[in-house]
Amino acid sequence: MDFKLGRINLNAVAQGVGGLVFGNENSSSNEDSYVERLLDRISNGVLAEDRRAAITQLQAVVAESRSAQLAFGAMGFPVLMGVLKEERDDVEMVRGALETLVSALTPTDVARGPKNEVQPTLMNSDLLSREADSISLLLSLLEEDDFYVRYYTLQLLTALLTHSPNRLQEAILTTPRGITRLMDMLMDREVIRNEALLLLTYLTREAVEIQKIVVFEGAFEKIFSIIKEEGGSEGGVVVQDCLELLNNLLRRSASNQILLRETMGFEHLLSILKLRGSAYNFTQQKTVNLLGSLETVELLLTGGLDAEPGRDSNRQSNQTVLAQKNALDHLLMLGVESPWAAVSVRCAALRCVGALVANHSQNLDALASKMLGEEPHVEPALNSILRIILRTSSVQEFSAADFIFKCFCENNPKGQAILASTIIPQAHSGAHDPLDEDIKIPFGSMLLRGLTSSESDEDLETCCRASSVLSHILKGNIHCKERVMQVKLEAPMTSFGTPEPLIHRVVKYLAVAASMKDKNGNHKTSTSSGFMYIQPIILRLLVTWLADFPDAVHSFLDSRDHLTYLLELVSNSSGTVFTRGLSAILLGECVLYNKSDDRGRDAFMVVDAISQKIGLTSYFLKFDDMQKSFPFLSAKASQQRKPLARSSAASMSEIEDVEENNVSNLKHDEDPVLMSVFDAPFVNLVKRLESEIRESIVDVYSHPKSKVAVVPVEMEQKNGESNEDYIKRLKSFVEKQCKEVQDLLGRNATLAEDVARTGGVGVSGSDQANGGRDRVQVETLRRELQETKQRVEVLKSEKAKLEDEASMYRNLAGKMESDLKSLSDAYNSLEQVNFQLETEVKALREGKGGPFVDVKAIKEEGREEAQKESEAELNDLLVCLGQEQTKVEKLSSRLAELGEDVDSLLEGIGDDLGLAEDSGDDEEE
Amino acid sequence: MSYAYLFKYIIIGDTGVGKSCLLLQFTDKRFQPVHDLTIGVEFGARMITIDNKPIKLQIWDTAGQESFRSITRSYYRGAAGALLVYDITRRETFNHLASWLEDARQHANANMTIMLIGNKCDLAHRRAVSTEEGEQFAKEHGLIFMEASAKTAQNVEEAFISTAATIYKKIQDGVFDVSNESYGIKVGYGGIPGPSGGRDGSASQAGGCCS
Ligand SMILES: Nc1nc2c(ncn2[C@@H]2O[C@H](COP(=O)(O)OP(=O)(O)OP(=O)(O)O)[C@@H](O)[C@H]2O)c(=O)[nH]1
Ligand SMILES: [Mg+2]
Repeated sequence: MDFKLGRINLNAVAQGVGGLVFGNENSSSNEDSYVERLLDRISNGVLAEDRRAAITQLQAVVAESRSAQLAFGAMGFPVLMGVLKEERDDVEMVRGALETLVSALTPTDVARGPKNEVQPTLMNSDLLSREADSISLLLSLLEEDDFYVRYYTLQLLTALLTHSPNRLQEAILTTPRGITRLMDMLMDREVIRNEALLLLTYLTREAVEIQKIVVFEGAFEKIFSIIKEEGGSEGGVVVQDCLELLNNLLRRSASNQILLRETMGFEHLLSILKLRGSAYNFTQQKTVNLLGSLETVELLLTGGLDAEPGRDSNRQSNQTVLAQKNALDHLLMLGVESPWAAVSVRCAALRCVGALVANHSQNLDALASKMLGEEPHVEPALNSILRIILRTSSVQEFSAADFIFKCFCENNPKGQAILASTIIPQAHSGAHDPLDEDIKIPFGSMLLRGLTSSESDEDLETCCRASSVLSHILKGNIHCKERVMQVKLEAPMTSFGTPEPLIHRVVKYLAVAASMKDKNGNHKTSTSSGFMYIQPIILRLLVTWLADFPDAVHSFLDSRDHLTYLLELVSNSSGTVFTRGLSAILLGECVLYNKSDDRGRDAFMVVDAISQKIGLTSYFLKFDDMQKSFPFLSAKASQQRKPLARSSAASMSEIEDVEENNVSNLKHDEDPVLMSVFDAPFVNLVKRLESEIRESIVDVYSHPKSKVAVVPVEMEQKNGESNEDYIKRLKSFVEKQCKEVQDLLGRNATLAEDVARTGGVGVSGSDQANGGRDRVQVETLRRELQETKQRVEVLKSEKAKLEDEASMYRNLAGKMESDLKSLSDAYNSLEQVNFQLETEVKALREGKGGPFVDVKAIKEEGREEAQKESEAELNDLLVCLGQEQTKVEKLSSRLAELGEDVDSLLEGIGDDLGLAEDSGDDEEE
Repeated sequence: MSYAYLFKYIIIGDTGVGKSCLLLQFTDKRFQPVHDLTIGVEFGARMITIDNKPIKLQIWDTAGQESFRSITRSYYRGAAGALLVYDITRRETFNHLASWLEDARQHANANMTIMLIGNKCDLAHRRAVSTEEGEQFAKEHGLIFMEASAKTAQNVEEAFISTAATIYKKIQDGVFDVSNESYGIKVGYGGIPGPSGGRDGSASQAGGCCS
C-alpha cells in the first residue's frame, strides 16, 4: 500500500512540474485548453494507460493552479462523476478522479488573485454539492475496499462540509445508511478513523438529527474506546477531536445525555479527568484535552437546552450519578490540588464543582464535609477554596471559586449556617499572622481576616473578595445576618476606641475604594481591573445584608456619616451606573426596613435627606439606569462559551494569556466578575426591592407623622385655667403647629421644585407628559368600556324581551291552533248531524210524502247557517293568523338585525306547528 | 447499570397511532392524552429480565409524519427489534402497514424481529380494524401480533417483553453474531462475554478489513 502511495506521489510530482510550466505562463486560456484536452482524453480515450495518465496530469494541474481549478469546475464534474459511477472496478481511475476532486476543492498554496475574484474552490464545492446524487455516490464509495478510495472520499466530504455544510448535511441525512457508513469509518484504520472523526465533528455541530443518529449508531462507545486507546488525557489531537464530537452530541440534547448515562454511565468520562502518574507533566495538548472533558462535565451539569422539557430532572440525575462516580474528588483534585495545572483547567474544574452541588442536597452535604490534603495537613475543602479566593492572583480563578460558594449557599440555609457558625463575634483583627500560616484556622476566622486585612490597595481586593463570599452566606438568611451582626472588631490602630461593628468597617471599605479611584482619576495598573467590581461587590454585600433586616439598617444609620456618604455615592457622576444604582437601593432599604422611632434616623429623615440632597425624581432615575443595563448583562452571561475546535489547538499557547488579557481589555460593563455579581437571584432581589422602595417612599409622603396632635377638647379653656394661661397654652400650640406647617411647606417646596425640574428636563419630562397623556387615554378607554358594557346590557335585556315575546306568540299560535282544531271538530260534528238529519229526512221522505219540502228547506237553512258561521269564524282566524305572521316577520327581521339566529329560534315553533300538519315527517331522533 | 444484553428497538407506524404513548407507558407507566407530535426521533430506555438475565432495552421512537421518513430510515439498520404500530380505530393506518414493512425490509437487517401492534384497543366501540384482520396480516408477513392500549397499559409490557424474548431466543439459536453491533444487540459489560469480546475485537479487526 505504501508502495502505491509512493507511486502516486511520484506521478504527481512528475506532472506537477508540467503543471508548473503552464502555471508560470500564467495564461488562463492556455490552461483552459489543457484541462479541456485532458478531460477529453479521459472521457474519449481508448487506451486504459493513456486515460490514467491523463487523470493524473489533470490532478496535478488542478492542485497547482487557480485557473485550472476554474477551468475544471466549468467542464470537469460530469466527466469525473461519470468515472466514479461507471468505472468502479478500475481502482486507479477512481482514485485519480477522487484525488482530482479533492484538489479542485482545496485552495492552492499560492493564493493569488485579488480578493474579490471568484474563489474557484468555493465555486467547485458549490457545483459538486448541488447534486444530492453526487453526495450519495460519494457516500457509497466509503464501502469500497481500497484504502485510498475511502481516504480521498472522506477528504472530499470534509472539504464539501466546510464550504456547503447545509447541503451536505441534508444529503447525508437523506441517503439511506449515510451516517452508518461514516460511523463505520470510526472502526477503520487510524488515518481513516481520524479523518472520519473530524468529519463527524463538523457534521454534528448544528444538525440535531445527525447528532441523534450518530448516537444511535453507538457513537458514545466508539468515542470512549478511541479515547482509551489513545491514552486518555495524555493522548493527542485525536482525543481532542473525540471530546469535541462528544460535546457536540451532548450540548443541546437532554435525551442524548440520558442515553449516555443510562447505557455507558459516566465512568469513562471521569477516568479522563483522573490524573495519574507524573501529574506535574501538563503538556498543552493535555490541557486542551482536560478542558474538553471538563466541558463535557459542565454540559451534563447544565442538563440540556433551556427550553427542553425534563432538563431539570435530567440535570439532577446527572448530578447524582456523577457524584456517585466520585466526580467531586476528581474535580477538587484538578481545581484545588493541582497548582501546576493551567489556570483555565483549574477554573473549569472549580466551576464544575459549583454546578455539581447546586441545588442538590446530597452533593451539598458531601462538599460541606469534604476534607482535602494528607495528614496532618487535612482541612475542609471549603477552607481551601476560600483560600484560593483570598489569595489567587487570577481574577478568573477568584470568580470560579466564588461561584462554588454561590452555588453552595443557594437554597441551602443549613450550609449557610455551617459557614456562619465559625464566624466568631469577638474577632481579633490581628493582621500579624498571614493567611497561610496555620492550616487549622476555622473558616469563619479566615473569612474575617480576609475582610479586615488592612486597607492598602491590594488588601482592599482581598476585602472585596471576602465580602463576596460573605454576601452568599447572608443571602436570604436572617439567622446568619443576625449572627454576623454581632461581630465587633477592635478599632484599628488605636486600642482606646470602642469595638467597631463589622458592618461599619464594610462601609468604610466602600469609601476607601471610592477615594482610591478618585485620587488617580483612572485606575492603577496592576490590580486595576479590580476597581471595576470592588464597589459593586461591597455594595452587594450591604444590600443583601440590609434586606428584610431592620437591625442592620439601624446599625448602618448609627453613624450620620454613613448616610451622608451614601447620598454622595448616589449622585456621584464619576461612579458607574451600577455603583449609583446599588447605592440608591441601599439608601432605599434604609427607608423600607427602617423600624426606628428615633427622630435622628427614622424613615422620614432618610426620605427628607433624599429629596433635599438628590431630588426624588433623579433618585428614582438611578434605578432605571441600572435596570436598563441588566438585560445586557444577563444576555452576555448566558452566552455559550465557544467549544474548542482543532483550529484552536494551534493557538493553545495563547489560552492562558488570552484569559488574563481579556479582563483588562474589557469595558466596565463587560467585566466578567461584574456579570457574576449581577446573577439572576441578585437581579431579582434588586427588582423586588426597587418596587417596594418606591411604594414605601410614597407611603412616607402620604402619611406624614404629625408632631402636634390636634385634640379638640384641648382647644377649650380648661376649668380653672386663667385666660392668660389659656392664651399662653394656645400660643405655644399655634407656634408648634406653625413650625410643622413650615416643615411641610418646606417638604412641599422641595417636591414642587423636583416636579418643576422634571418638567424642564427633556427625557423625564416627556415621560411625565406621556404619563399624563396615558392617564387621559386610559380614562377615555375606561369610559368607552363602560359605555359599551351598558350598551351590551341594554341589548341583552332587549333580546330577552324579544325572546319572551316570541315565546308568547308561540303560545298564542298554539292556542289558535287548538281553537282551529276544536272549530273543525265542531264543523265535523255539525256535518255529522247534518248527515244524520239528511238520512233521517230521507227516511221520512220515504216514509211520508207530506212534510218533505219543509225538511229539505230546514236542512238547507241549517246547513247554510252552520257554514256561514264556521266560515266567518275561519275568516277571523285567518285574519288573526295573518296578523301574527306579519308580527313574527317583523320580529324576525328585528332579531336578525340584533344578530340573533332567527331560524334556530323559530325552529321549535315550526316543529310544534309541523307536528299537527304532517306528524313525524321530520323526526330525526 | 450492568446488563447481559442491550437490545435496540425502533417504534414505527403512522403519525398519531400512539407510538410515543406506548413508549411512555412502558418506561414511565404514564399516559399522555395530548398528541405531542414527535419531531425526528426520541429515545427511552428500560431494564427488563428474560430468562433471569437483565436486559437493557434502548428504544427509539420515530416520527410517523411522512416528512420525517428519510430521517427515520437511518435508524432501521441498527435495530434488533421493531414495533410496527397501527391504530385499530383508523383503517388507513392499517392500510399503510405494507409500505412500512417494505421500508423495514429494505433498510433493516434481515433478522430484525418485528412486532405488529394494533393500538388503542380500549376504544372498542370505534374499532375499524378487526382483530382477525390484524392476525391475518401478521401471519402473512411473519410478524408477532398483539392488540394493546397505551392508555390502559393493556399488553404494553407484554409487547416489549415478548419482542425481547424472541430476540433472545434467536441469540440462543445462534442466528446473530452478537459481536457485530450493527444487529442492534450488544453484550453487556457485566454480562456474558461475546465470541470476540466486543470492542477490542472490532478494534483489532480494523487493521484487517482494508485492502
Ligand atoms: N384511547 C387511546 N388513545 C391513545 C392511545 N395511544 C395513544 N392515544 C392517543 O393518540 C394520540 C397520538 O398519540 P402519540 O403517541 O403521540 O402518537 P405517535 O404515534 O407518537 O405520533 P407521531 O409522533 O406523530 O408519529 C394522543 O392523543 C394519544 O393520547 C390508546 O391506547 N388509547
Ligand atoms: Mg410520537
